Amino acid sequence: MSSGTPPLEGAPKPQVQAVNCPKCGAAITLRAMGQAVSVVCGSCHSILDAKDPQLAILQAFDKIVAADQPLIPLGTRGKIRGTDYEAIGFERRSIKVDEVRYNWHEYVLFNPYKGFRYLSEYQGHWNDVSVCKEQPIVDTRYSIALTANYLGQVYKHFQTADASTDYVLGEFPWEVHVGEQARVTDYVHPPQMLSQEKMSNEVTWSSGEYMPGRDVWSAFHLSGSAPQAVGVYENQPSPFSENIKAVWLGFAALAVGLLVMMIGFDVTAKKEGVFHGAYQLNRGEPKGEASFVTEPFDLGGGTSNVEVTTSAGVQNNWIYVNYALINQDTGEAWDFGREVSFYSGYDSDGSWSEGKQHDAVIVPSVPAGKYYLRIEPEVDPMHPMVVYTVDVTRDVPVTGFYGIGFLALLIPAIAITWRSVSFERARWSESDHPPAPILNRGDN
Amino acid sequence: MFRKLYLAYGVLILGSVGYAQYRGMSLDSMNQLKNVPKSVRDNPGSYRSVYSGYHHYTGGK
Repeated sequence: MSSGTPPLEGAPKPQVQAVNCPKCGAAITLRAMGQAVSVVCGSCHSILDAKDPQLAILQAFDKIVAADQPLIPLGTRGKIRGTDYEAIGFERRSIKVDEVRYNWHEYVLFNPYKGFRYLSEYQGHWNDVSVCKEQPIVDTRYSIALTANYLGQVYKHFQTADASTDYVLGEFPWEVHVGEQARVTDYVHPPQMLSQEKMSNEVTWSSGEYMPGRDVWSAFHLSGSAPQAVGVYENQPSPFSENIKAVWLGFAALAVGLLVMMIGFDVTAKKEGVFHGAYQLNRGEPKGEASFVTEPFDLGGGTSNVEVTTSAGVQNNWIYVNYALINQDTGEAWDFGREVSFYSGYDSDGSWSEGKQHDAVIVPSVPAGKYYLRIEPEVDPMHPMVVYTVDVTRDVPVTGFYGIGFLALLIPAIAITWRSVSFERARWSESDHPPAPILNRGDN
Repeated sequence: MFRKLYLAYGVLILGSVGYAQYRGMSLDSMNQLKNVPKSVRDNPGSYRSVYSGYHHYTGGK
């Protein structure tokens, strides 16, 4: 390689060397020769010093630890953020929480011009990881560092745990050991995360960005499809959070639009009184045919609704009226029955009342024309005289439409908010800061 | 995507409410009949409402 700035475009040309394992003699391919610190024999899994021309054995095993197959085969090349990388190392790490071991995998990627980069994978959730460019600032005011600031962005503490390295394969830019322990602390600001690793006196920080499995498969041209992600990962971006603010803003705008529409229709509605009649039923009436018809009245304008209001001064009594609004010329009719009832009294709870002394019904879409009402009242014959009035009003606003419209606008906004809250609860339930306290039954 | 869908849905809701109000629709249910004979005007008893025979509430609390 000539001196000067290396070319940043084009496929990287890693220097590859074939060597043999000093323990078992198996062939080993060094893909990051000169930059890898450790290399693992794929046959006997001995960990070798990659900087030593003799490949001194750093760690050897009497029996091979539980093997694991990388989802990205070592030697596979792919493009991450426009740069070609080759997968050269693979390790399985784990933490133990409440006697349950949780495993995840890490891949070492290498580009001879750009250096190392990492991919981590846990139950189908992937992260594109690189070493931090500068030291994050940790809030040390509390015993647990609740936030970390990196490049002006605040990350929330998610989890601190002791991680161990359980299985390694390929090359690594550090001296890797199986059984190695590290104190790992994660901070999140989805889709970003920060990870701090403490090993004896050494502290390293890395930053990661959530990457859908399909993007990894696409980047490395892997066959098949990426494993389905399980659950919600700590820095997985919520598909709902971005929408919430916009949806509620949209809801507010639409609700205002609905209100303006309601006011507009209320102001422009004719609310034209076209008929008024007052009637009386004495005790014991009607003795014969109860029905009668009103004088004809005009319903003007275009097709519109008609409100029929029945008012009766009933007291612990009722009146039921069968109506038919009939077009005198066409014979078209709207048939309906309405009850007016009102009851009141006193009991041990105090005074009470039930019902109303008036009732209104809206007849839909009535064309213009000359109409009359057929009225057939029914009352309890044992009760005294009932006086009632009937009023007909043309073109009235229907407030129920606006109530239904408001609910129809509100329900999706509430639904997406609920889903977002559920998503965040699922995320934080796996953290050191679960959203609700875990109650142990039987604990005093 | 969801934002656009929601806005489109909202506009549809407002349009439906406006159309229902403009056309004079109602939330009340009733029976619509055709060709009621003109003789009803002179003999109201010849017409029978489909709502007659209603059982009335006569109790109170």
